Amino acid sequence: MALLKAVTVLTSALLFVQSPRASEYQVKAVFLFNFAQFVEWPAVATPDPQMPVIIGILGEDPLGTFLDETVRGERLGLRPFEIRRYRELTDIKACNILFISRSENERVAEILAALGKRPILTVSDGDDFAKRGGMIEFVTDKNRIRLRINLEAAQAANVTISSKLLRVAEIVRTPRR
Amino acid sequence: MRDWPIKRKLTAIFLLISGLVLVLTSAAFVTYQVVTFRQTMRSNLATRAQILAANSTAALAFANEADAREILSALKYDPHMVAAALYDRDGRVLATYPVAASADLIPAAPQPDGYRFEGARLVGFTPVAQGANQRLGTLYIASDTKAVSDALRLSGIIAIVVLAIALLAAYALAAALQGRISAPILALAETATAASTRQDYSLRAPKFGEDELGTLTDAFNQMLGRIEEQKQELQQHATRLEQRVAERTEELEHRNEALRRNAAELLAANNELDAFAYSVSHDLRAPLRSIDGFSQVLLEDYATQLGDAGRDSLQRVRAASQRMATLIDDLLKLARVTRAEMRTERVDLSGMARDIVVDIQRTTPDRQVEFAIAPGLEAQGDSRLLRVVLDNLLRNGWKYTGKQPQPRVEFAAVDENGGRVFVVRDNGAGFDMRYADKLFGVFQRLHSAAEFEGTGVGLATVRRIITRHGGRIWAEGAVDKGATFYFTL
Repeated sequence: MALLKAVTVLTSALLFVQSPRASEYQVKAVFLFNFAQFVEWPAVATPDPQMPVIIGILGEDPLGTFLDETVRGERLGLRPFEIRRYRELTDIKACNILFISRSENERVAEILAALGKRPILTVSDGDDFAKRGGMIEFVTDKNRIRLRINLEAAQAANVTISSKLLRVAEIVRTPRR
Repeated sequence: MRDWPIKRKLTAIFLLISGLVLVLTSAAFVTYQVVTFRQTMRSNLATRAQILAANSTAALAFANEADAREILSALKYDPHMVAAALYDRDGRVLATYPVAASADLIPAAPQPDGYRFEGARLVGFTPVAQGANQRLGTLYIASDTKAVSDALRLSGIIAIVVLAIALLAAYALAAALQGRISAPILALAETATAASTRQDYSLRAPKFGEDELGTLTDAFNQMLGRIEEQKQELQQHATRLEQRVAERTEELEHRNEALRRNAAELLAANNELDAFAYSVSHDLRAPLRSIDGFSQVLLEDYATQLGDAGRDSLQRVRAASQRMATLIDDLLKLARVTRAEMRTERVDLSGMARDIVVDIQRTTPDRQVEFAIAPGLEAQGDSRLLRVVLDNLLRNGWKYTGKQPQPRVEFAAVDENGGRVFVVRDNGAGFDMRYADKLFGVFQRLHSAAEFEGTGVGLATVRRIITRHGGRIWAEGAVDKGATFYFTL
């Protein structure tokens, strides 16, 4: 009986994970790609106008091939897109948008501290990511993905977020200690 | 229009031309207004759509319906905006305006980009893109075209008002200016009519200027002048002619008067003469009868006492008195012819001539004379008098052929110059043409009584009768070659 129950839960969990997750991460992949158009990095970060826009993924990759498919053939001005997957924090060299996987939830503070003021737009769907000093957090609300933005964090890293993007997002602050 | 007065024709032409120009101009104005307005409206809608599209990039990029709805709801401030919608990259509707828009207002899927008029709406699809090449979705927007029809109505009203005012002005101008052309023509026409109806050629048409109409007026006036001169000349001629006719008429009347007086005097004298001749002849008969009667008594009762010489003398007295009686009878006949009343009728001359010939042959059966009477001769006249004429002429012919071995007398007629001429011809003694005018005188004889007996009254009588009938008589002849008498009636 218990076993049966466990199996049912597992199956339903799997089902829940499978289809909504697929569509959810598809949407998130598009969002990650779209951010490039509403964010400006300091000029020093792109010495070459043809330098690719690098979207990095730190930790376990939940996006699968969605992101690769989304950016395939796309350009931001002259710049093509490039996807990089990082295992270690030290792997991160030139990067414009960094998606921090849920798998790194425990290390978020450490990661953000390590990135310091580097002009990298940090994005994650981890709990309270924005409040914890991340720049953009994906929040799932009634099957819709909403954005939460920590403007101070972005400003600190010299990353400019378009007011249009701010319009559709919820602005949060890092609580003062 | 053909029979319109020139004034109206000119005004109508002016109005027609200006009306055509005005209508074309107004039509161009309205068309330009409408086309321009449609273009303006299209570009305005495009601008508005581009602003909306620019604002809705983030909403589309991050699938934020609430934001999208809010952006579209700004359209409520423009009452002409009918509907709008935002489609995402995959063509799904993210948000609509109005929020609860019915399905027929919003196309199910985006259509090709661009703006077009669909019925009473202007609709457009515009891409929503952030940056140069990143298409995020499509904005649909629809506006009603009331503004266009309002603009059309307004420009139409303006055009009609302008048209009306301009036409009124054109009419006023035409009415004022047509006089420059029509006034000289009307003046000419009036003068021409007056001149021809009143026959007053002293009229002159007034001149208005030195243009072609002025030339025409001059020529017309010159023509009138010439007609007037000619008319005066004609009148002078006519007056002179009338005067001359009057003079001649007066002269003629004088002469007529004189002639009448002469004729009356002549008639009176003639009548007197006739009366005298008649009474003398009549009165002469009684003593003549006494002379003859008593001479006969003497011869019968006293023959023995007279002796041969006495008887012979008495015989001569008797013969002379008998000749005188015949003479008197003839004179009485002549006088009677003049006095007798005329009764005109159709007379068969041929028949009459035959009767006379029969009578002649009966009284003198010892003479053989050939008479040739043409048949069917007729004339209009007094039969008694015409019998005297024929009797005289035929007896003359019979008489003067007495010495001819084959005597012949002919009565015929010839047509000459359209008139009928009767002819009595014989082959007798004839006469000398030198004495032809004496033939018809009283007591005028070309032969002695011994040669041919006669009194010299017969032909005079004949001529009187012919003259009384309004005819003419004449004779041709030569000695021993016969004589021919012609007469008309």
